[in-house]
Amino acid sequence: MSQPETDKQPAPEQLRIGVFICHCGLNIAGTVDIKELVEYSKTIPDVVYVKENRYTCADPGQEEIRKGIRDYKLNRVVVAACSPRMHEATFRRTVSEAGLNPFLFEMANIREFSSWCHPSTPKEATERAKDAIKMAVAKARLLMPLQTIEVPVTNKALVIGGGIAGMNAALDLAEMGFKVYLLEKSESIGGHMAALDKTFPTLDCSICIEGPKMVDVGRHPNIQIIANADLIKVDGYVGNFKVKIRRNPRYVMADKCTGCGECKDVCPIEFPNEWDLNLGTRKAISVPFDQAVPLIYTINKDYCIECYKCVDACGAREAINFEQKPEEIDIEVGAIIVATGYDVYLPYDMPLLGYGKYLNVITSMEFERLILAAGPTGGKVIRQSDGQKPHSVAFIQCVGSRDKNKYPYCSNYCCMYTLKHVVQLKEKYKEDIEVYVFYMDMRSPGKGYEEFYDRAREKGVNFIRGRVSRIDEDPKTHNLILHSEDENLGVPIEVEAEMVVLATASIPKKGSDELARILNLTRGADGFFMESHPKLKPLDAPTDGIFFAGACQGLKDIPYSVSQGSGAASRAATVISKPTWKIEPIVSVIDESKCRNVTVKCGICADKCPYQAIKIEPNKPAQVITASCHGCGTCVAECPQDAITQMHFTDAQILAQIRAALEKDPEDKILAFLCNWCSYAGADLAGTSRFEYPPSIRAIRVMCSGRVDRDFILEALRLGAGMVLVAACHLPYDCHYISGNYKMKARTDALKGMLEKLGMSPERFRVEYVSAAEGVHYAELIREIDAQMHALGKEKIKAENAKLKPVIENMLKRKKQ
Amino acid sequence: MTETATTKEPNREPIKASEIDPKFKYELSRMHGSEKILRCFQCGTCTSDCPVARYSETYRPRTIIRMAQLGLRDRVLNSDTLWLCAACFTCTDRCPQDIEVASVIRVLRNLAAEKGCVPIVFKEQIASVLESGYAYKIPDLRIKKRETQGLPPLPKGNPASISKSLKGVKFLENIEKKSEQQ
Repeated sequence: MSQPETDKQPAPEQLRIGVFICHCGLNIAGTVDIKELVEYSKTIPDVVYVKENRYTCADPGQEEIRKGIRDYKLNRVVVAACSPRMHEATFRRTVSEAGLNPFLFEMANIREFSSWCHPSTPKEATERAKDAIKMAVAKARLLMPLQTIEVPVTNKALVIGGGIAGMNAALDLAEMGFKVYLLEKSESIGGHMAALDKTFPTLDCSICIEGPKMVDVGRHPNIQIIANADLIKVDGYVGNFKVKIRRNPRYVMADKCTGCGECKDVCPIEFPNEWDLNLGTRKAISVPFDQAVPLIYTINKDYCIECYKCVDACGAREAINFEQKPEEIDIEVGAIIVATGYDVYLPYDMPLLGYGKYLNVITSMEFERLILAAGPTGGKVIRQSDGQKPHSVAFIQCVGSRDKNKYPYCSNYCCMYTLKHVVQLKEKYKEDIEVYVFYMDMRSPGKGYEEFYDRAREKGVNFIRGRVSRIDEDPKTHNLILHSEDENLGVPIEVEAEMVVLATASIPKKGSDELARILNLTRGADGFFMESHPKLKPLDAPTDGIFFAGACQGLKDIPYSVSQGSGAASRAATVISKPTWKIEPIVSVIDESKCRNVTVKCGICADKCPYQAIKIEPNKPAQVITASCHGCGTCVAECPQDAITQMHFTDAQILAQIRAALEKDPEDKILAFLCNWCSYAGADLAGTSRFEYPPSIRAIRVMCSGRVDRDFILEALRLGAGMVLVAACHLPYDCHYISGNYKMKARTDALKGMLEKLGMSPERFRVEYVSAAEGVHYAELIREIDAQMHALGKEKIKAENAKLKPVIENMLKRKKQ
Repeated sequence: MTETATTKEPNREPIKASEIDPKFKYELSRMHGSEKILRCFQCGTCTSDCPVARYSETYRPRTIIRMAQLGLRDRVLNSDTLWLCAACFTCTDRCPQDIEVASVIRVLRNLAAEKGCVPIVFKEQIASVLESGYAYKIPDLRIKKRETQGLPPLPKGNPASISKSLKGVKFLENIEKKSEQQ
């Protein structure tokens, strides 16, 4: 891995910069005076060759660049043409074809940022283009050759969680030919789906469709199931994760157990079966359910009386071993899929609904086990109070969900499974049972779901729009009185039911916080894992090489979990199908001699890094995990010692751009820092849309607004800049580096307050948010800032700057220039 | 506004476009007590457990919030039912969206009072308080009876101090305003 020296001029070689100016037909040449640009460029120090082309991006134009590099021994190339977002990649390739490192190339945007947005002021447009070239050359002088970083990839994957999403992810990857480890916390894979009776809206039997999948997973030669096990530790980075797993003892040897069940038959001890929601029992040596995969028996030592009858029953197979110890397993994988699912909320803390107090108030999951033919009651729906079939059942929606005091989100599938339950009840007992559903909104937006709602209504289910506030129990009959409002009638209503089923919230899986810590994942306000981008990267964790499937990322029903499992498998394959993983070398590099973490407890960089890509150990310099670094530069801006450098966006390079931009008449200029993904793109759009705005702006591109160092703003003001603008992606979710914009905001908020106290007019330093679609907004913004600048007047700005200068110079003193 | 605050049928007239003031909800959301009014999703839990709604044909906290959310400013402020709330705060306790329903009703009553829309029974009470310091006039017969029973005389009210406080909150002006309008 290359770790180039930073902040040093490439002194040994003489700088030979070539500037190539593009006409872009009349797109640039129609407004900007190309001749003047050429003559001007020739006067810039270190520029040895200037060439104009009609179309630089066309083959002849590219050939001119290659020729220039060969004939004039150019070691830096500047192309003044369109936006770098358009052709930077093209020209990087061109210069590398001529043997020059692609990172010794810089672009000056004189089309979107000059000719197209200042058509009626050609003179000023030319001035802006000149400055753009000057700034590009200033940066080019300090550019360093960089190598794309490559890390080897382990072509295996780990799937955490063996529910329907994780099983599908594992199967897809295995079918692609990759080795997959499937880690499951409980004794069997299958997840919640294995415990369900029917699935909506088709009412097909859940275990009948999932069982064969479980068998496929168990039998697949590329899948190794590690069940009854916990994740202990994960080290490493994309392509190279080192995982430590602890397999908990079953006291039954996996390789010897045949799953015959003879041990179970002789075992005298029964205990409540958690998998049956404690409605049924299981033996002290047993499997949780008949279809368990892997089919290995487990002894529950909390209940086992060690009578050893099972040992006798097992006989010569000798599968039972009371001495079994936990076993640590170390594996290496290239990608990890998190599919840990969800838990179900038990509303013991909502006393008004009486769950846990009234025998006939149960949860939907318990109802599921009651109506299931293979369940503890053999499919009979009965009341706990008297074992009788109820003649009326009330279902209550959104118990704990959509409740600011519990779980404010919608649990997604409760409407549908309640419809399933009521249809099942009505189809089973017809007019012999009266069914009530108390709901606030009925949500049935999936394929075939609304039709299923129709079916429930046609069966004669009573839907009452209203939220149940309280349930009372008749102490004699154990019937339940529900209080609600029938909103459609606008009157309070009482309903008596013999059984109440609560559709309780689904909640983040227990242990999510621990998993988040091990894998460096972030969780949203609702507790579910946060994806890298809510629209375009819904399956990716912010950490490269880690992906999500199923409800752990947000609640979803079976078909969506299955498709997400397949999606995550394909995302993981993009990593593990390669022999090596390439990383753009615009990463952060730490100067260990400057890092103060050696002497004091610091770690600011690690704290601010949105990707947990910086490792901090006491009394050691901070370390960048290069493969995890996304190159936003937030740590660079935050480091109080200036010990971190972002390659290709170094402090020296950006300061050189600032100085070049403000060399002449700084008081008349707006210096802008634009983040690459949103604001720069928005400014480009203003250009392509030909929205005209004042040419007083000089823009500097950074990858993320998080890169904008306090010192950049101070330096701009020290040099006398009229106005300073930092433009970023919109809060809260638009940042392409998760939270760089927030870090920038916190930093600039503090700085702004200070500058205002020192006498700077508040409008002179602005932080604004411009999306890639807001060309109009960008143009309006620049117009507004320009007008403010003129309203303030040059003299006032100068006077303010004179006052600010000594303070700023003092603040910048520590920065070695 | 009728002068008798009783369980009269609420305004069931169809809503005219001109009646809707879309700004009303924002005004309310900036007032202390009704900050969270925009959150209401009309689940009716407030109404379900409201002890007044249980016996009233007209009083529904949910519909009061609904009218306010929709911007039916005059309709809700002129409504008789606004004054039926017993301020037991059960609705506030039950609300799954943490809306302080009882406080919203207090805010609406304040706005109604500013308009001078206060039911006559409250006005009579105020008159009594201003006169004697008691919310209702104690009959001479009962005072005499206290004497015969050997009970100490009732403490004297302090109408002057009450009148000063009410002046401070411009209560009387609002009451007068309404009287002038009539």
